[in-house]
Amino acid sequence: MKLDYSLVTRRTFLNTLFGGWLGTFLAGSLYAFFRFAFPTLGKEPDFVVLNPDDFLNIPANSTKPFAWGGKLGLIYKKQDNTLHALKGVCSHMECNVVYKPEEKKFYCPCHKGWFDENGKNIEGPPPKPLEFFDHRLEGDKLLVYRKGVQVELPTA
Amino acid sequence: MSCRKLKKWISDRYDLEPLRELAGSKTVPVHKHEIWYYTGGIVLFLFAVQFITGMALAFYYVPYFEQANKSVVEIATKLNMGWFFRSLHHWGAQLAIFVLFVHVFSTLLLKSYRKPRELVWVSGFLLLGISIFFGLSGYFLLWDERAFAAVRVATGGAGNLPVLGGFIKGFLRGGIDVTGETLTRFYAFHVSVLPLFTLTLMGVHLFLVQVHGMSVPLSQKGREGRVPFFPNVFYRDLMVWLVVLGIVVTLAVLLPPEIGNKADPLAPPPEGVKPEWYFLFLFQTLKLFPGEILGLNGETIAVVLISLAILFFFLIPFFDRKSSREEKGRLFTWIGAFYTLYFVVMTIIGFLT
Repeated sequence: MKLDYSLVTRRTFLNTLFGGWLGTFLAGSLYAFFRFAFPTLGKEPDFVVLNPDDFLNIPANSTKPFAWGGKLGLIYKKQDNTLHALKGVCSHMECNVVYKPEEKKFYCPCHKGWFDENGKNIEGPPPKPLEFFDHRLEGDKLLVYRKGVQVELPTA
Repeated sequence: MSCRKLKKWISDRYDLEPLRELAGSKTVPVHKHEIWYYTGGIVLFLFAVQFITGMALAFYYVPYFEQANKSVVEIATKLNMGWFFRSLHHWGAQLAIFVLFVHVFSTLLLKSYRKPRELVWVSGFLLLGISIFFGLSGYFLLWDERAFAAVRVATGGAGNLPVLGGFIKGFLRGGIDVTGETLTRFYAFHVSVLPLFTLTLMGVHLFLVQVHGMSVPLSQKGREGRVPFFPNVFYRDLMVWLVVLGIVVTLAVLLPPEIGNKADPLAPPPEGVKPEWYFLFLFQTLKLFPGEILGLNGETIAVVLISLAILFFFLIPFFDRKSSREEKGRLFTWIGAFYTLYFVVMTIIGFLT
């Protein structure tokens, strides 16, 4: 059957076809490009395994760094000889904090933030306390893990 | 081939007459604020210096986190003239950004952004943003403790933006944290992405300036004279560039920039760490905000407010209706003065404290 006239002209039809083709092509290319350019973001670990010999015997009122993924973790022995583990990263702008043994406080040099020995933000811009981890000794391994996370090491 | 022969060879193939006429007919207004016209040319010149010294440095720089810091030290200590090129590149960047700010604020205060030059302002604003990112990414390539802390804070600050923040932060860092991946990325930005965008936008910017001609400030309308660009203004431009080159070389020779210790993601940042001077106004603004406002994160509020202020700045040509009708108006003079003063005062406070 041949129509006398059509709702779309040949020009409109071709423009739509090529325009649509071009649009789809560009959208697809951009999508692929951005998928590639944006990294697959990793995730902070839920736990790390440390060698207890390196950390259990540090002097009282001091800290020793360990790698919490790519971030700074600190094993912290208080004056009363209790051992703690925390993320040594300021809650303000993610700078690493330093422990000041004389004042028994954590200090962030970037914007002069202070945290007390329990990690509570007491002075300066930090909006939140430092993140403390749980830890336990399992055989010859020191497990440091996020609070509330169940960690079971394979027994084999 | 003699010069005349060469000329004939070209003119036999290409008709250069229209170009020559165009260049000959280009005039520049003369009035008491004309000195600000030179800032654009100075930036252009300094960018040329940056491109040349940057290409030279790229021959030797190693963009890998294990070797980056060491390779910069070696450029500065072992290579012939290496210290000079690195120092030139550093001071050229400092000066380029400084003059760029002078250029932007003079445009703002003289209202040269007004109709029909809105797109000149838009392209210029984008170039300013690119230049600042140039500065940050170039600084990071040192891979020393200070640069590392600065980039952690700067990208973390961008991460405080609601909704888009996480994306931007991840895109800039190439992961959840500042690592060797970030160095690779910043290297790519610094030597490939940003230069290409700069060349394109600069082409647009300069083309539009040729289309519109130089803007005459409202207060000088009708009082200005005109001089030909070739040779009067062109020679003056060259003289100014020579002086600027003298300043950059002097600074580069007398004040070589330091190279800090290799960055260690697990080490604390050095005491009293500060961003580069062109970030100080942001840094000071962030300090004004407490950690928490009405239960909301103070940083987020600060970053949102700063972003809105910058967005308004960007859109000033579209808000200033009065000057687009070629009428004088107080409001946007005050707004321009406020932005300028805020930037200058906050930078000085940040520098002194």
